[in-house]
Amino acid sequence: MRLALDDLHVALAGRDVVAGVHLVAEAGEIAGLIGPNGSGKSTLLRAVYRHLAPKAGRVLLDDRDLTALPRAAAARHLAALPQERGEAFELTVRQMVALGRIPHQRAFAADSAEDRAQTASALDRVGMAGHAGRRFAELSGGERQRVLLARALAQQPDVLVLDEPTNHLDIRHQVELLALLRAQRATTLVALHDLNAAASVCDRLHVLAGGVLVASGPPREVLTPELLAEVFGVRAAVTAHPLTGDPLIAFDHRAPAA
Amino acid sequence: MAVLTAGGIRTRRTRAGVLTAALLLALGVALTLAVCLGSVDVPAREVWSIVGRHLTGGGAGSTHDLIVWQLRVPRALLAALVGAGLGLVGTAVQALVRNPLADPYLLGVSSGASLGALGAIVLGIGVGGALGLTVSAAAFGGALGSFALVWLVARRGGGFSPLRLVLSGIAVGQFLGGLCSYLVLQTGDEQQTRGVLFWLMGSLGGATWSQLAVPAAAVALGGIALQARARALNALVLGDETAAGLGLDPDRLRRELFVATSLLTGVLVAVSGAIGFVGLLVPHLCRLLVGGDHRRLLPLSALTGAVLLIAVDTVARTALDAQEVPIGVVTALLGAPVLLFLLDRRQENR
Repeated sequence: MRLALDDLHVALAGRDVVAGVHLVAEAGEIAGLIGPNGSGKSTLLRAVYRHLAPKAGRVLLDDRDLTALPRAAAARHLAALPQERGEAFELTVRQMVALGRIPHQRAFAADSAEDRAQTASALDRVGMAGHAGRRFAELSGGERQRVLLARALAQQPDVLVLDEPTNHLDIRHQVELLALLRAQRATTLVALHDLNAAASVCDRLHVLAGGVLVASGPPREVLTPELLAEVFGVRAAVTAHPLTGDPLIAFDHRAPAA
Repeated sequence: MAVLTAGGIRTRRTRAGVLTAALLLALGVALTLAVCLGSVDVPAREVWSIVGRHLTGGGAGSTHDLIVWQLRVPRALLAALVGAGLGLVGTAVQALVRNPLADPYLLGVSSGASLGALGAIVLGIGVGGALGLTVSAAAFGGALGSFALVWLVARRGGGFSPLRLVLSGIAVGQFLGGLCSYLVLQTGDEQQTRGVLFWLMGSLGGATWSQLAVPAAAVALGGIALQARARALNALVLGDETAAGLGLDPDRLRRELFVATSLLTGVLVAVSGAIGFVGLLVPHLCRLLVGGDHRRLLPLSALTGAVLLIAVDTVARTALDAQEVPIGVVTALLGAPVLLFLLDRRQENR
């Protein structure tokens, strides 16, 4: 399904943190959201997965307005992997993934065969089926993110929304998680800090600065030295990656842009 | 590997089943013992024949009928209800504030309930009046008010940290506790002051059949309301963003939990005073035994709380020959060392 943000405004404490964003993620496409700290990426994503109510604008799934749906119905279409890391108390990996079934379940009903099948399949798709009985709290950072991705997959969503899913992971686990994400072939909106990762993984990039989109397009067109200097304040050269041919940004770590 | 994990799940589920069965058995044993033991020991066989006769509509017969049916049975049942309620409240509050070592006592909610109940008593509405509904309602109001106050203080500035919450709970609790002490001194005669003080420290003394209806209804309704939200609690513990992403409304859920836990705390405090540590320790121990899924945790905490409080009350009643020790004193003496042990354990886990 196609995800479209139509003139989205989100206000926090009276200030428009997201001010009129139009953005489209085509069906099966990975749309990357990049921008400096405080540019409004997380706020925008929170409004998409309904943690925050937008001040104005719509979140459209094909032609349906997600914000007009009941919360549980919306969560059957769109799953989120937020940045927060709450207390997992004593949940097992399987129980953590099974939470993804909540929007499909009624209050007192036991887990259905479908719930168990979807949970198992989600665990399988992220390669964590062999760890289902372990405590979530004892997993490594990379394993945790894979389990949380599985939880989102267990929701059987049409769209995935992820807020910096590779944060705090070492490079190997970053690569693993992003490869998994690509393998899902789901319509995806993902905020990423690492611009080189974004350039490799995303079909299109959307650059957010001060709550407005300043550029959108394929990574090759968006990631120019001029944009990197203007939006991110860094000096950089953009070349082709010797192994993949993707855009490769070589930053000048010695001094910021003039 | 897949076989192994399937086995792991089965043992966990079996363990919860075995534990439930064992606790139900323990509940029966504890109830029987609580009725048998006291200033006059009554043999279990006689206890059951008295209870059986009353349940089948027969009248008083045995010499111990009054002690068993009018004094000890209602008291044991009240202990079970209060214990179950404290277990439920503790579990819900710990999820609500995302802190496995929280309870309404630590968060000042019990103090608010005490203040409400005390206010009603001092204003002369009386403990016995109208099935204790007035006092329960006042305690509920006090609990809700103090819970809201603690929450607002902790959330000031928008951030949320469990530490801030516990600290503001302690501050609000101390403040309200001071007000309680002042109110106690304002009560008329010495006899009443002593009675109120005893109740404040937590006591199940003077339990009657007519007192059981309100807490029984509150525990049943509260238990059902919480169980209906068991999955939502699992998600809420992980954070508001996670809960929202799963199609829940965290703010609404929190409001509902505020009301449910305040109602339960208010009713429990009205009938038994402030009994600390049970609501804190019972869910924590149950979580170690069956894991963090609230669908299992809530009923198990209720059962464990019931068994524990019957046992503790029996000890409080029989430990000293001459007088009864307030049950809150016993739970504090037992609970504090266990809490320190758990804190130690958490430190090692980090």
